[in-house]
Amino acid sequence: MLQRWTAGRFLRLPRFARFDLTPEALNKRIPQRRLLSTTKSPNAELAPLRKQLKDAARADRTARHAGVKATCTSKAETLSQWELTVGIEIHAQLNTSVKLFSYASAEYNEHPNASSWPFDLAVPGSQPLFQPAVLVPALRAALALKCQIQSRSKFDRKHYFYHDQPAGYQITQFYEPFAKDGRLVLTPQDGLGHKDDDTIEVGIKQIQLEQDTARTQEQDEHTSLIDFNRSGHALIEIISLPHLHSPEAAAAYVRKVQSILHAVDATTTGMELGGLRADVNVSVRRTDDRSARHSYSGVTGLGQRTEIKNLSSFKAVEDAVRAERDRQISVLEAGGVVEGETRGWSLSSPGITRRLRGKEGEVDYRYMPDPDISPLYIDESLVTHFQRTLPPVPEQLLDMLCTTYGLTIDDSRALLSLDDGTRLLYYQDVVSRLYTDTAQPRPSVQAANWVLHELGALLTTASTVWSPDLVDAQQMADLIVLQRENKITGPSAKRLLRILFDGDKSSVAEIVRREDLLFISMTNEEYDELAARVIGEHQAEADAVRQGGKRSSGKLKFLLGQMMRHGGRNRVQAQKAEEVLQSKLKPNDV
Amino acid sequence: MPRVTRALQQSYPRFIRSSPGSYRINKAIASAEAIASTQRRRVQLVGRHGAFISRTSSGYEEEEDDQQRTSYLNELKGASAKSAYTKDFQQQIDHAKVIAVKDNFVTERLPTTCASSILNGFTGNAESTVCRILQEVGMDIAGKTNMDEFGMGSHSQNSAYGPVQNGFGKNAQSPGGSSGGSAMAVADGIVSIAIGSDTGGSVRLPAAYTGTVGFKPSYGRISRNGLVPYANSLDTVGIIARNTNDVMALFQILDKYDPADPTSLRPESRTRIHEARRKRQVDFGHHYLESEDVKFSFVGPRSKGETPAETSMPRDRYKRYTSGYLRRIGVPNEYNIAEMHPVVRQAWLRTLSMLANKGHTIVPISLPNTKLALAAYYVLAPAEASSNLAKYDGVRYGTPRDLSTADNENGLLYANYRGEHFGEEVKRRILLGTFTLSAAAKDNYFVQAQKVRRLVQQDFNNVFAFGHPLLPHTRHQNSSSDRTVDLIIVPTAPTPPPKIQDLEGQSPVQSYINDVFTVPASLAGLPAISVPAAADEDIPATPDRHVGMQVIGQYGDDLNVLNFTRYDIEGTMNFDEARELTWSRKRM
Repeated sequence: MLQRWTAGRFLRLPRFARFDLTPEALNKRIPQRRLLSTTKSPNAELAPLRKQLKDAARADRTARHAGVKATCTSKAETLSQWELTVGIEIHAQLNTSVKLFSYASAEYNEHPNASSWPFDLAVPGSQPLFQPAVLVPALRAALALKCQIQSRSKFDRKHYFYHDQPAGYQITQFYEPFAKDGRLVLTPQDGLGHKDDDTIEVGIKQIQLEQDTARTQEQDEHTSLIDFNRSGHALIEIISLPHLHSPEAAAAYVRKVQSILHAVDATTTGMELGGLRADVNVSVRRTDDRSARHSYSGVTGLGQRTEIKNLSSFKAVEDAVRAERDRQISVLEAGGVVEGETRGWSLSSPGITRRLRGKEGEVDYRYMPDPDISPLYIDESLVTHFQRTLPPVPEQLLDMLCTTYGLTIDDSRALLSLDDGTRLLYYQDVVSRLYTDTAQPRPSVQAANWVLHELGALLTTASTVWSPDLVDAQQMADLIVLQRENKITGPSAKRLLRILFDGDKSSVAEIVRREDLLFISMTNEEYDELAARVIGEHQAEADAVRQGGKRSSGKLKFLLGQMMRHGGRNRVQAQKAEEVLQSKLKPNDV
Repeated sequence: MPRVTRALQQSYPRFIRSSPGSYRINKAIASAEAIASTQRRRVQLVGRHGAFISRTSSGYEEEEDDQQRTSYLNELKGASAKSAYTKDFQQQIDHAKVIAVKDNFVTERLPTTCASSILNGFTGNAESTVCRILQEVGMDIAGKTNMDEFGMGSHSQNSAYGPVQNGFGKNAQSPGGSSGGSAMAVADGIVSIAIGSDTGGSVRLPAAYTGTVGFKPSYGRISRNGLVPYANSLDTVGIIARNTNDVMALFQILDKYDPADPTSLRPESRTRIHEARRKRQVDFGHHYLESEDVKFSFVGPRSKGETPAETSMPRDRYKRYTSGYLRRIGVPNEYNIAEMHPVVRQAWLRTLSMLANKGHTIVPISLPNTKLALAAYYVLAPAEASSNLAKYDGVRYGTPRDLSTADNENGLLYANYRGEHFGEEVKRRILLGTFTLSAAAKDNYFVQAQKVRRLVQQDFNNVFAFGHPLLPHTRHQNSSSDRTVDLIIVPTAPTPPPKIQDLEGQSPVQSYINDVFTVPASLAGLPAISVPAAADEDIPATPDRHVGMQVIGQYGDDLNVLNFTRYDIEGTMNFDEARELTWSRKRM
């Protein structure tokens, strides 16, 4: 029976116009508009994106004209008297092919309302069917964040009314989440603030599975259009302990969580595409004040906190925390009291947070165990399996590149960050084809130079997008071996790479033969002879070198160039030639 | 007495006092409408006694013409002349497997409203599992029956499409609720069997009030997929019929695992239940005939004087069965409440003495948490309902929203719309549930009620000789000590059916008290059936004296409950005579 719920059949839910968003076009395509539209609530947060961006630009201009008075000069002194505390809730969309409680596709590129099953639309009589597949990314995420996986967890309903919440409640794990007690270590390399400690260990209170909401799109002042494709998609919510004490650390935490989730393939998109959203809880207290009476999950002595919801970029996290900290400090310094409330942050008014609702207006979510969904039992063997097969997180990879491969930290970072990790895989592939010897530099270091810098330069020049197929890994390895064995010179090797990069698929040996790139080393006598010839032809320069002084090194280079030119292709090794020249043109000893 | 007789005449003219011929025709129309279903149309109409919200129709509007009906009847006559059962119209009609379904089961061809204005015009696009199975076995859904809005009520008066009544005028009496429409469709003879839903007694109470048989199986045995939930953890699919035999026949069809329902009993659990019951039978040397192929009594002819049970099995097996197995029957002290109507108490005693005469052992037992059960039920059910009904906002389906119910400037979102389209009782229970789940009240209400629920379940586990087959630590001693019992027999309701005009002055709480005997089995998820009690031979049985007896069994012991009811209660001559006197089963 369930298979009969194919896309578009149910209620014939109309689709968004994909390109043409004029009201006329929408009317044409949406015969039953009421199914999708609701009249608008007086919520300024829902202003159209274009307007938001315009407002942001305007606000930015105004701020610049005003000379940015927002940050007061005595701030540094003021700040030293206050301690900021931040806890963060991160919502991340899991990388799954189905929704949390239905077989509907969780692809993001579907037409609006094309991938919704009855349960995702809260159709009467439909029931949730838990999809075990969502456990794969969820467990990876929880293990990567060093959580304890709970053998038994439960689902609860969290009630509130909103257009994007078809059932009137969200199914989440409030009382018994599937993962608890994780941690994440931040280091200076993660971009901590100057006031932060060297490393910060951020405790993760819990990770819970929950449903995503539908997507709302403003059509005009009176109408919102709703796309239920996202409704019911599996999310994890990662709740940190209040262990962060600077805006920079807050942003670093979110950035690091995103990179870890991405590294273990738990999520598909990051903040930039809306795959990750953060709510921050901010409180301040005087540094010398130990009497603050608020607490959160075992962390005591905190000031009254406020929550800023729905931050969608790292910069927004940092800016919002900073702005809220400054606001709370100025309230307290003026003798006021910080209210426990929910605040908003928007592009259109950078630098300030805005009150959304106070404590008295706080929604009572009326959590209730979902009577249709049985508890989730996760077997120990499953946890062990995912633990064993967990992809390494960036930190482990960095460590591996620095120690095992002997790369510099900058090169390691570059390899990690490039091309979504495929460059790193390519690099490892190339290295695995090289043999190890005791010669210096190590082959892995040399390979990094070729993969990262030489190939990188070609990519930049050609404005080409990276692909591991551009230069076959075996060809690259052959090239590096030839150079290591001094069978071709550096310039020849570069030329060879250029040829390979341009798409020549012949074997490296073949190309070397064809292009006559092989280096045949000269004897010492030949070097002497060549050097003598060049010196004879360029007496003036040779004298200049002999005399020493400012211009001698430039002249030496000129003579070296002449040697290379006269020595026949690919035979002269620059280093050797320079040695010979230098010995012949020793500065005149007095 | 004369006054009562007159009331009968007024209430049920077609059935009781009009000529047999006209009764047959009336009955024929109803069935013919369903049989001749080649050109189905959706017709919104409130049937006789308000039993239906929507019915399949053979292509005419109800008010249109009698002429067309007559032609359908003639067609039917012609057809019946050729059929195997030509002698009597009745047989032809009985042969039709026509079934009525409560309006909270989603159907593809008929709208599903749950008797609420908020779902006016909603037609689901997937058949509920129950309706799909019914059609797969060749049954025709005659229509969707009226009910209390979203199942909230005990008298089927809270419907946006008009109340259901048993009888007419000032003597009209309550058909019970919330499956009152299904019960009346059976009692009126429109269908032989109907589907209802039972959350806290919604099938058993109407059965008791209309003199029909109503069965609520163990939680999870029949799929709830496509049943619009009132309180998910309590909702079960119920069956109403004229006799237990038919209930059992349909139950065996519907008793299947359904992967689409996450609360459906899984095959492994069904196996465990089966094994536990088989072990118990072997231990005691019982030979119950449980898995035999039970046939519908209304399919095919049967000889005069035969009971339904006799029809459906060979006579020697029947004899062996009825003489072979004597049960220990529990009578809980806590159910003998002061508020019980004398008519009900007498019927209870009569039934027990009849069973004692047959050799069964009557055992006084105690279920100490019975009193708390009703309060717990009215905390848990509204709490789940307030959550389940949050989805009705008019955005995706149901009655469209208009300007008067649009979001207004005060930050209200759906309040106007929901306020306008939900009925009073629904709003009351949503508020009740919202309160009991609120942060301030939850620990004192919702959490406590869940504890009471567990205690009620323990009460039952303590008295049943058959240990709960799915709980690891309950007794599996299978010993018949002095204190344990096989089944429990209690009345279905504390009073006979009330008159509708008497309901009007009732407070909601008074109306909730009606469920006091049915709620404990619901909280514990146990199988329970309501059958008409044996009649008092000295007083004529009249519809206002209907009393239902409830047989409750251990979780998973559904077939034991059904077999006991059909052989040991219905199967007695005493009972059969009583049924002859009941108007709704008067045979032509």
